[in-house]
Amino acid sequence: MVAKEFIEARWKAIICCLLALALVVVSTATYDLFKSVLSGTSSQMPQFLQQQVQQFTSSYSLYVWGNWFAKNGPEIMAALAIVLGSALIAAEVNKGTIFYLLGKPISRERVLLTKYAVSALILFAVTVLSSVVLLVTSALVGYSQPIGGVVISTLLLWLGVLFPLGLALMFSVLFKDALWPLICALTIIILTAIPGFFPNWGAWSLPGYWSSQAAYLGQAFPAKEFIISLIAAVLPLILAIILFRRQEY
Amino acid sequence: MSEEKSTSIVPGNNELRPAHGQTAAIEIHDLVVKYGSKRAVDGLTFTVPTGTIFGFLGPNGSGKTTTIKTLLGFRQPDGGSARVFGYDIANQSLQVRARIGYVNETNSLYDYLTIPQLCAFSRSLSREWNQQVVDRYIEVFGLPPREKVGHLSKGMKSQLALCLALGSNPDLLILDEPTTGLDPLARHEFLNTLVSEVAAEGKTIFFSSHILSEVEAVADWVAIIRVGKLVLCEELDHLKQTQKVIKLTYIDLPPVSEIERLRSLPEVMSLAQEGRSVRLIAHGDLDTLMQTLQARPYALREVETVDLNLEDLFMEYMKESNNGR
Repeated sequence: MVAKEFIEARWKAIICCLLALALVVVSTATYDLFKSVLSGTSSQMPQFLQQQVQQFTSSYSLYVWGNWFAKNGPEIMAALAIVLGSALIAAEVNKGTIFYLLGKPISRERVLLTKYAVSALILFAVTVLSSVVLLVTSALVGYSQPIGGVVISTLLLWLGVLFPLGLALMFSVLFKDALWPLICALTIIILTAIPGFFPNWGAWSLPGYWSSQAAYLGQAFPAKEFIISLIAAVLPLILAIILFRRQEY
Repeated sequence: MSEEKSTSIVPGNNELRPAHGQTAAIEIHDLVVKYGSKRAVDGLTFTVPTGTIFGFLGPNGSGKTTTIKTLLGFRQPDGGSARVFGYDIANQSLQVRARIGYVNETNSLYDYLTIPQLCAFSRSLSREWNQQVVDRYIEVFGLPPREKVGHLSKGMKSQLALCLALGSNPDLLILDEPTTGLDPLARHEFLNTLVSEVAAEGKTIFFSSHILSEVEAVADWVAIIRVGKLVLCEELDHLKQTQKVIKLTYIDLPPVSEIERLRSLPEVMSLAQEGRSVRLIAHGDLDTLMQTLQARPYALREVETVDLNLEDLFMEYMKESNNGR
């Protein structure tokens, strides 16, 4: 069953992986270019923006973390999680293969958890591969990155995007095609991210817990971020199991 | 054809006991399944004896697929109970499915997998798997053994679905409209394999269909349902022996009172008159009926008895069921 799930998800995973790797390369290889462009134009920027840009470009590590782990990484990985999760059950129902699957002597919990585990594994592989490419590209452009910070941030990002995966899976149980679970999960993720755009409301933004600047720079262990991300990952999965157990076809 | 003692049930008298020494593959008792407030299956009771080919008939929307889905645990019953080889479908669904090979009406398989990949996938989901059996049936059907499922024709997919269902060595095969969409040749090949290979191994085959000629060609037993209720459940041979068309040709035109008298006889299911000819569809004790007919005061030129085929029987029971509504 694991092999079948990998085969089914392979094209989505490959496309998202290539996109993620391209973004990682851009995030890590453009520091010097970005800094030189900004040095010539920052005087024309408003005062508050100048401060932000200075902070953002003050060190290579901060630039890379801000570009990948705080922005592009969560976005691309959440998108992949939603695309994978929304098709897990709904696509089987849509194609009628759910009857082949559930006609076999295996429990619904095993079906659901196997599908979830394979998707989580794909997300893990893409996240780890992105981080490896981040380290390699950084070295190639002449900067070194904190290995410990990269490892912790990679794990935190993966744990964080298990929430959109679980959410999409939960909606996938409820709908008969993969589009509605995708729309519902995406809407909820956007809603949970909105507080992050307002000053002083950042603590209410769930995606804000998928990365930690202090952890990346080796200043603190992100225990709070890990706990919140873990709880957020588990809740929709439990709901999905309960719903799938009761669902009639 | 099976050797079971014939036992029939009719709605309202739904106790069916398998013949001596025989266990039941499926026992359904007063089963109710609802979609919202609508009863798709409404108090269904019948038994499928082991080792038989059991045709499950009914018009579209009669509750055949819902019954099958409930047996397989896709839906929970809203009332009544059902057992498969003694296992309760509601509480022991895994044990039930471990004994069943299922082919659904759409033959939906994973198009992106090759046949060996689909076999490996099916093996991982089954308690028992015999690849040699699958390979043998793939050869019997002449399927390309390494082909992608999406490249197979509809008929080939049906055949592959049957091969995979047999791979888990099931005691009971449940086939929901398995030949829908197949051309006559593919249908013949499918049914021929079903009878000559599968049933010969002693497996029980429970299949739903609305193609009555194919059911008649292979089934030992038939059950007919309509709007979720059982209309008939009987051994096919016995059914044919006890249900006949009787054509009466009178010397003179019979009076209306005679026609009404014939219509009221308990063995007469339906009657149609055309001039001096009267066509009866009769069931039950036909010897007694013949004696009664011969003893009537109106002279008969000819009495002819004709066997009914399953399609005639089905239509009659549907009509009777409509009238009795």
